[in-house]
Amino acid sequence: MSFILRRLSFYFTAFLLAISFNFFLPRMMPGDPIEAMFAAAKGKMDLAQMDAVREMYGFMNGSLFEQYISYIQSVFTLDLGPSVLMFPIDVTTVVGMSLPWTMFLALGSLIVALIIGVSIGTYASYRREGFFGQFVPPFLAFISNFPYIVTALLLFYFFGLKLELLPLAYTYDPSIDPGLSLEFIGSVAKHAILPMGSMILVGIATWVFNMRNAMINVLGEDYVTMAEAKGLSSFRVMYRYAGRNAILPVATAIAMAIGFSFAGSIMTEVVFNYQGLGNILLKGIMARDYPLIQAILLILVSAVLTANFIADLLYVWLDPRISN
Amino acid sequence: MYKKTLLATLAASLLLATSAQATEFKQGGTLTVPIINTGFVENYNPYTTGGLFGGVLYEPLMTFNLKTGGIDYRLAKSVEYSDDLKTITVKLREKLTWSDGQPLTAKDVAYSFTMTKDAPAFDGKAMWTSGNLQSVVATDALTIVFTLDHADSTFVWGLPGYHIVPEHIWGKIAAKDLPTFKNLDPVGSGPLTDIKYLKAQQMQICRNDSYYLENRPYIDCMTFRSYNDNSQIQPALMKGEIDWGSNFIADIENTFVAADPENNHFWYPANDAIHLYVNTKVKPFDDLQVRKALSMALNRDEIVDIAAYGYPTANFNTGGIAELYEKFISKDVTEKYKEITTYNPEKAQKLLDDAGYIDRDDDGFRDMPDGQPINFDINVVNGWTDWIQVVQMVSEYYEEIGIKANVKTVDWSVYDTGLKNSDYSMSINWSMVASNPIEAFQTYFLNSQIGKSWHAGHGVHSDEIDALIKSFGLTNDVKKQQDILNQLQEFTAANLPFIPLFSNATWFQYSTAKFVGWPTEKDPYVQPSFYDAGNRNLIINNLHLK
Repeated sequence: MSFILRRLSFYFTAFLLAISFNFFLPRMMPGDPIEAMFAAAKGKMDLAQMDAVREMYGFMNGSLFEQYISYIQSVFTLDLGPSVLMFPIDVTTVVGMSLPWTMFLALGSLIVALIIGVSIGTYASYRREGFFGQFVPPFLAFISNFPYIVTALLLFYFFGLKLELLPLAYTYDPSIDPGLSLEFIGSVAKHAILPMGSMILVGIATWVFNMRNAMINVLGEDYVTMAEAKGLSSFRVMYRYAGRNAILPVATAIAMAIGFSFAGSIMTEVVFNYQGLGNILLKGIMARDYPLIQAILLILVSAVLTANFIADLLYVWLDPRISN
Repeated sequence: MYKKTLLATLAASLLLATSAQATEFKQGGTLTVPIINTGFVENYNPYTTGGLFGGVLYEPLMTFNLKTGGIDYRLAKSVEYSDDLKTITVKLREKLTWSDGQPLTAKDVAYSFTMTKDAPAFDGKAMWTSGNLQSVVATDALTIVFTLDHADSTFVWGLPGYHIVPEHIWGKIAAKDLPTFKNLDPVGSGPLTDIKYLKAQQMQICRNDSYYLENRPYIDCMTFRSYNDNSQIQPALMKGEIDWGSNFIADIENTFVAADPENNHFWYPANDAIHLYVNTKVKPFDDLQVRKALSMALNRDEIVDIAAYGYPTANFNTGGIAELYEKFISKDVTEKYKEITTYNPEKAQKLLDDAGYIDRDDDGFRDMPDGQPINFDINVVNGWTDWIQVVQMVSEYYEEIGIKANVKTVDWSVYDTGLKNSDYSMSINWSMVASNPIEAFQTYFLNSQIGKSWHAGHGVHSDEIDALIKSFGLTNDVKKQQDILNQLQEFTAANLPFIPLFSNATWFQYSTAKFVGWPTEKDPYVQPSFYDAGNRNLIINNLHLK
């Protein structure tokens, strides 16, 4: 129990530090939201209006320290104030609209990449001398070393623009009403293929190698040799004997990957105009929309810390020696 | 379905007067327009929605039409100044109604202006903040009187910047809550007021059945679609998903037009003039001969062709204004100073030689008369690729005459404060788009603009010019006003506080697959800018099914 308490206090400190960074980082960027707004208006807004507009948005009143205190309060009350970009809509509403799409994209692609990656990794380790084991993992490593943005743009260009097979933008066809209809679900799936596909392509190699390395260790164990000697089918040996034991280190890597997956989703969303957090974060940064940037970073921080905490709990459960 | 339209009753509008004949237009159709934003949210307050609803949900009083040089009266029937230029009387059309059927009266108009006194963030033209507007009063059901503190004939141009909203709805909102008022059930007087649906990616707004012009608008609905940036709008235009684009499209003839030459068109009339602002407070730019030489060294046609696909209009007017304000350009000034904007590297070199700017240390570049090397940066904003290409070419032309200039890409805020605080050597920037070029000269030269405007950091100022600009507002006489504009152009050309380059294009792509009635080069009834409430309003009124 004391282990969990220690971890909790560690995460709390990390959280406080992270949200402080979230406050100061956007403010370290040159310019502020109001200046960005007047710049975007290219002279259409009278500069004499700057103070009045600044006052309307409210969150920049007072000294930096006062702003910081009220920001910390807002984080714990979850009353994050209005967005500048979409004034007067609350940041929580804006985030609430786009968070589900990002979670769908980030977690969906993670799960698919995981399933495919682990399967390929298992098989590749078992057949590591053969063509599959020699060729497929390096090829996937090659693909995954493309930055998200390049893979996404290539897919965008070929499948969206050239072949016109798949839609270029949006989370679903804007003329369809959202609901539990086949048409809507089909549209969501169709629109997710390219963004999710690009993230899966990039993410898959991690799991192949994680699984393959863990498997190679396990395959050297005596009980695997024993199982083979018993004349069990290679499928049974591969999955029931070796695979189950090799998956433990992979499980902990998943926690780490969640954070990366969210980050990757940000890039992908921008390319495919996918209405998620990343898309909004980019616009928010350009507009210096402090409340919005803070809220999105807060979600990323929370996602990463929560995932790590779950990994810690998993450790304890899997290996009781740690809690002592 | 065909409906007869009797346009004779609408002769007040210049737009309609040009096509005033009984015509039969098909009613219907949905126009699709791209919007670059983060998605649509439930907010229909015209002041906090980035100019999405002006001219659509809310009809302007009138539109000052730069293309025709006239006034298109909309809700207003007339606008008149008193002789001392301290009172403006606006007369409304009769029998105007809101989209909910209630009458639209002078009281609504007076309220719409007075409201912005309590909500200063809505006071877009600083009418109250500047202290000049004293009161706005409805003297009868159709008459509104604006009282000013001091004479100002330019004041009236600010009126279309304010949305006319229904007092019976907005009046119930406390002043302090106005900025966050979302106007969820919008009632307006514009051509399209009925919000059919709103999703994050798309919204549709349909016709106002109580619109004051009979049978208008011809179109049924307009759909706004959300996009991230121009690069996503290009494929959408090519696929015919959009009817009306206002975006930069690379190589448009071979992409958009080629996709459907019959229906896909573009028209890129001149917009704001782009100059290289020069800081005359630092050497060697304090020397007029250097500024002249730096202007003559540039081949404007080539810059426009190579760096900007030929879309902008090269600007050979040295007087500070360009084709956007075509009707106000002083031909005499342009002719007199023609040499300055004519590409002539030999002459430029000679000017520099004669003024003592020669290569003194044999490094291939000119130095100042005191031996200091000339080496300066031209500021441009990170990621503004078209301008970066322009500045790149400029620096190459300067190298040809032995001047070392470097392209410096900086973050917006560095660029912004640099321009305002004269903390630059040379910086590319736009100029003011307004109803009248005097507003451009105000931002260039008024003493009060120094440190505030991007265009007043060049250091060329004088009390006489300040007074001359201010005297513009003291007269209502168009001839006298033009005389002032001519003097200002002469002053600008003689002092060269910036080097004119070209006029930006007004990005305007349109498809005639479904709709016709677009402004074109042959029928330029309005500047085709979507992001101008008044212009957009005229175009929406003129579009109809093919």
